[in-house]
Amino acid sequence: MEDHEFERLLKVARLKLTDVEKERIKADIEEVIGYFDSLDQVESGEEPAYHPIRVPARLRKDEVVEFTDIDALKRQAKLHDGYILGPKL
Amino acid sequence: MRSFVNEFLKLEKPKGYYEELVSEISMLNKEYHAFTNINSKMIDCAEGSIPFSSKANICVKGFETTAGSKMLKGYIPPFDATAVERMLGSGSFSFLGETNMDEFGFGTFGLNTETPARNAFGREYVAGGSSSGAAVATALLKYHVALSESTGGSISTPAALNGVVGFTPTYGTISRYGLIDYANSLDKIGVMARSSGDARIAFDIVRGKDRYDTTCSVEKINGNKKTKLFVVKELMEKTEKRVKASFSSLLDKLSSDYEIREISSEILSKSIAPYYIIAMAEASTNLAKYDGYKYGLQYEGYNKRYNDFFTEARSSFGDEAKRRIILGTFIRSESVKAKYYTKALRIRALIIKEMSRILHEGFIISPTIPIPTPKISEAASLTPLENYAIDIFTIPPNIGGFPHITFPYGYMDGMPLGAQVITEQANDYAVLDFVSDWEEEFEYRYKHDVGSL
Repeated sequence: MEDHEFERLLKVARLKLTDVEKERIKADIEEVIGYFDSLDQVESGEEPAYHPIRVPARLRKDEVVEFTDIDALKRQAKLHDGYILGPKL
Repeated sequence: MRSFVNEFLKLEKPKGYYEELVSEISMLNKEYHAFTNINSKMIDCAEGSIPFSSKANICVKGFETTAGSKMLKGYIPPFDATAVERMLGSGSFSFLGETNMDEFGFGTFGLNTETPARNAFGREYVAGGSSSGAAVATALLKYHVALSESTGGSISTPAALNGVVGFTPTYGTISRYGLIDYANSLDKIGVMARSSGDARIAFDIVRGKDRYDTTCSVEKINGNKKTKLFVVKELMEKTEKRVKASFSSLLDKLSSDYEIREISSEILSKSIAPYYIIAMAEASTNLAKYDGYKYGLQYEGYNKRYNDFFTEARSSFGDEAKRRIILGTFIRSESVKAKYYTKALRIRALIIKEMSRILHEGFIISPTIPIPTPKISEAASLTPLENYAIDIFTIPPNIGGFPHITFPYGYMDGMPLGAQVITEQANDYAVLDFVSDWEEEFEYRYKHDVGSL
């Protein structure tokens, strides 16, 4: 894999690696992709199986369900003056 | 039918029984790291309650649920997973604690986490993964069942390495609501126990439709006994010779009740690559939501630029998680999607077709893993690809959503040996019955019996 392609993947996946990690993980990934390439030798004319079973298209009624447990959401968050802190835009 | 749960219900419990149980398992946990947290409130549970544990990726209200990841440190779910809710609602079970695992389920040996669980038969050996703690806890506690989860073998492998029964049901039988996703089209909650009877009791409690999981749609479960046992030649080829010899002696024992036949199926030996492609593609999508402030880990670099905030926060993922995120992102790239992802889905369809045909005629039986239990130092030196190859027997039923069970059938150098039996979708009771019959002939051994009466 070209270095620029590897860097693109890191950017898309929002991952940062040290140079040592980069070298190690890139080598692992190249080996795994090489193995995945063995699929080229397998023929399959089947339709893609997105699930192992047939999942029925069951739809729920479009109803409003009131959510009241606001404290449960706040418990996970860092708060400041009643606002939830997050990264700046 | 052997059932420790039923035995427990009949026995009188001495005063202070649960206090003693919690104290003893807490002490042993310092050596084995089976639990990531133990519910001290268990000592106040209703008299007669049977302890159950749940893997650390199954949400339990009020208990830190980390899925073995630093990214989820401090995450305390405000709700119970459906499976947990049903166990508690049964009135028979009380929650003992959450069990250790590979980070997000990414592992065969239980080593991809901060403090790995140790094998219940020898602490220098791997516990197996990813439901490492569930298997160790089951091997330590006499009266207990473990809710665990399998994506590609995470129930079978650790169950086999710790000498317990590991049951993975048909995909879509048990609700995944409250399960921290690894790969949605592969994840299945299942049960570990010391007998197939106990696994069946828990299975019947937790299974069934759930409005919160539309894929949970398999309601009718059968128990159609098969009289043939198939051994797939291509899967056995890379099995270590001592494991092969022990497995042959198991087949000899079973030959009085079953017709044993070797069959050839090239496609089943090709299942590892499509499995990992599907699993990594789905995992990389699922792990996108861990951003350092919505769940668990609270990254405080609020002065960072918007994208840098997430990139810095996500450096807390372990190596294997990073590898799978990068590989999954690559596989989903528009330029190669058809070559890898769509192709893998087409091969999955082929595997399902082939296995359904074979399993209509009989069970597939194999060792659970192709090598003797490795020491931690040995497993830690394997490359990722060598690790993935260990899953050769557990991936076919998992990629196809077929119910399977692993059970102890012998001991080699003091370590348990496990075999796996697979059946048709929705024929789950048949594999539970198979092991129930086996248990009439064979007594499982354990080094610890915490909570015995």
